[in-house]
Amino acid sequence: MIRRYLAFAVLRWSLRLAWRLLKAAVTLGIVVAAAPVSLVAGYGVLLAWLLGWPPRRLYTGALWCLPMAVGWLAWTGLRARSSGLVFTVASAPYHAWLSMWHLAAAGSVAAAAVTIGPAAIPPGLLAGGLAWSYRIYSMQTGTGGLTPSAPVVFDVRQWRRQVRSAQARIAAPGSVPLTAKGCVLPGAVIRAVGHPQRSVALLPYARLRSHQVVIGTTGTGKTTLLLRLWAGFMAIALQRYAAGSGRRPLLVVLDCKGGADSRRVADRARRVLRAAGARSTAIWPDEASLSIWALPPNQLITTLLDLVEHGTGAAAYYTDVMDTVVSLAVGAPPGPPSSVADFTGRLDPEWLATAYGAGGHESELGLLRSAAGQVADVALRFRALFRRLGPGLDGPGTLADADVWYCILEGTAEVSVAEAQARALVDLLASYMTSGAGRSGVEALLAVDEFSAVSRRLPVWQLYERARSLGLAVQVSAQSWQGLAEDEDERYRVAASADGGIWVLRTPHPEPLVALAGTRRIIDTARRVAGTALWMDDGSSRVRHVPKLDGDIVRALGAGQTGYVYRGGVTYIQVKRLVAGPAALTAPPAVPAVPVWGRAELDRARPEPDGAGGLPDAGPLLDEAFGKEPR
Amino acid sequence: MTPGTEVQLTERDLRGLLFTAEMYGVQLDLLAGLLGLSTGRARPVLARWRRLGFADAARLGPGATWVWLTRRGLTACGLRYTAVPPALSRLAHLRAVTVVRLALEATGSYQQAGAYWRSERRLRSRMAGRVGIREHLPDAEIHFPDGAGEPYSGECWAVEAELTRKTVSRTAAIMRELLARTGDYGCPAAEARVPGQPPRHARVLYVCSAAARPTVARAAGTLGALAARIEIRDLPAGAALDGPPAWGGREAEP
Repeated sequence: MIRRYLAFAVLRWSLRLAWRLLKAAVTLGIVVAAAPVSLVAGYGVLLAWLLGWPPRRLYTGALWCLPMAVGWLAWTGLRARSSGLVFTVASAPYHAWLSMWHLAAAGSVAAAAVTIGPAAIPPGLLAGGLAWSYRIYSMQTGTGGLTPSAPVVFDVRQWRRQVRSAQARIAAPGSVPLTAKGCVLPGAVIRAVGHPQRSVALLPYARLRSHQVVIGTTGTGKTTLLLRLWAGFMAIALQRYAAGSGRRPLLVVLDCKGGADSRRVADRARRVLRAAGARSTAIWPDEASLSIWALPPNQLITTLLDLVEHGTGAAAYYTDVMDTVVSLAVGAPPGPPSSVADFTGRLDPEWLATAYGAGGHESELGLLRSAAGQVADVALRFRALFRRLGPGLDGPGTLADADVWYCILEGTAEVSVAEAQARALVDLLASYMTSGAGRSGVEALLAVDEFSAVSRRLPVWQLYERARSLGLAVQVSAQSWQGLAEDEDERYRVAASADGGIWVLRTPHPEPLVALAGTRRIIDTARRVAGTALWMDDGSSRVRHVPKLDGDIVRALGAGQTGYVYRGGVTYIQVKRLVAGPAALTAPPAVPAVPVWGRAELDRARPEPDGAGGLPDAGPLLDEAFGKEPR
Repeated sequence: MTPGTEVQLTERDLRGLLFTAEMYGVQLDLLAGLLGLSTGRARPVLARWRRLGFADAARLGPGATWVWLTRRGLTACGLRYTAVPPALSRLAHLRAVTVVRLALEATGSYQQAGAYWRSERRLRSRMAGRVGIREHLPDAEIHFPDGAGEPYSGECWAVEAELTRKTVSRTAAIMRELLARTGDYGCPAAEARVPGQPPRHARVLYVCSAAARPTVARAAGTLGALAARIEIRDLPAGAALDGPPAWGGREAEP
């Protein structure tokens, strides 16, 4: 019995061995017989392996080579006699193959390669693509490799090669332009999961017109990414504007970090955006100012009240008093205030009594009498507030004055000031967008960098809701998941509302984003190991869900590498850094403020009894240039 | 250009290249007008500039092709501007300013006075890229050199081409700033407006579109006596980006 069992086992083993040897011999025979195709396929697989290409690259290569094969067949057909045309064309690959061997045997290797090239390259690349695809599949499912760790090692090495290829691509001059086909090109694709695998990432303009979130710690290339996105937005929006298919772009950046670093970024942003077509970049509050006094009166009252922190409970009474006093000051008969000095000057019971004393304002005078005792306290709070806020919100200037507003908020040094400034700036932007000029003529993007610094007083859901109704896109960036908002609910709300996608740079805690990116199904195969490089035939496969965004990859991303999460897919990108123009010269040293020189001072300085100061009449010259002017 | 090939530039080439460099970029019909050619005859000139690597050209918007100088061209002109194509958002404005310049330079009084056009690009380059929003740059300055018998000798005019309406207050603020300025552009901030010093701009010339003119006129009205130093004129025909060619509109020469 034992002998018969052993004989059966030996027979089975022998048959298996014979079958395998037969398969190997047949495969080898085919490979040798189709040597040119095999060579091309092998070269293709080697190239794809070394450069981390997806199989699609080889398929695309085969497609591009197809015209060559068609042309060659057409040329062969033209040379053939009409009677045997079909046979000649059909047998052309075979004859080319025969000629190739003859030429190779005669030592003419180059002529042999040229002869067989049109027939061998397209199928070779196709075969290479299929082989490479099978290799990737077997590694992903765990059925390939000699050792149990082979799939893991394969993936790690492939990532390294893909990164190297992407870095080489962005280093090549002109390979990654800022925009193409109406899309922004952030950089070269390292790897795509659930997204089309392209060599260069394409971000449609519509995504920049939707809400986006950017998360990455310091030194990961967040600023480089943001500058590229902003420049891309500006360049495409200006192209659309020039073509008449879009409105004028407006980019408002709230850099809530502050300090010297923000100013360096602002200078870089100005140069980069100028190269992208932005006519002017206003650096607020260093070089430009805005005026909250341009807000409509009702909005101005709300904004002024929001600028001041209020308590709860019993303090609500004082909030109501402040509301009353501010409403009286703003709504006074002379019209809304035009400056801080004008507004704080009105926070005086006597001024208010005089303003409303002309008659017909009995109810306002009644309110004033009730709140008269607290007017001085309200004035004190607003004087302190405006002193801390600085002159940046006291005008002159409107958002229409520049294509880009880079607003530096000192969120690190003075959180409460930055919060108030952010609130006021967002109110100004909202008001501008709802005004005639903004509503009809502007496509705006609001980018808030280091959002956590101001998120306490500027709830992001409120910002998103307002932005959506105003046709304004919001881009929020933070150093970490926790930096997105105060509590977990709000963080998820921010991330879930980012319908333009989430950009993840290196961060130590990517788990919530990994969960948001979703999972994909893979086949996980378990095989039995019989020894070193020896697997048994039996095993089992099952469907398993793995995250699309790999948390370990995110933790190890290098500088300038990012994962773009959008609609259940992830594209890892090596961001191309924008090279700005030459650095601006340093600003001239600060000089004592020159007093505003009004008409009176000017007239005193240069008396002009006849208006033009005795200047000759420019009419003749101007009439000659522009035609007679009716006088 | 192959090594050893000599660059043959005519006086007309030099005039065109310098003009184009100063104006950021020029449309081909205006360039043809400047060179005294038809648009068709200006094309070979442009093609030669491109062959020499001095200029580049493309259709950037409505109307004729835009021409601008490359880094090589700017270097040849001895200008240290950044070589960039005209910004798309400024095409209409650049055309309007160019038309104004051509209109003025075509007049006998201007030529007789030997006036000199100092472009915004030159002014901006003097500011070394640090133009704050609070400081307004005119679209150009016209300098009339000192000379006996010339009516505007020694004067400097600021030129503003207004296509779109600003607010009256903003326009008036710009007018005041231009009229009150005493220092050259790029001078230390303390010298920009010095009480007691004569103003830099004897007048400000506003050349306006029909849409912008009422606002400019109202803004000038708020200046009181200073309004006498404001000159307001309509933009010449052909200043619009998508309008009919203004200069060099002769499509074919006999």
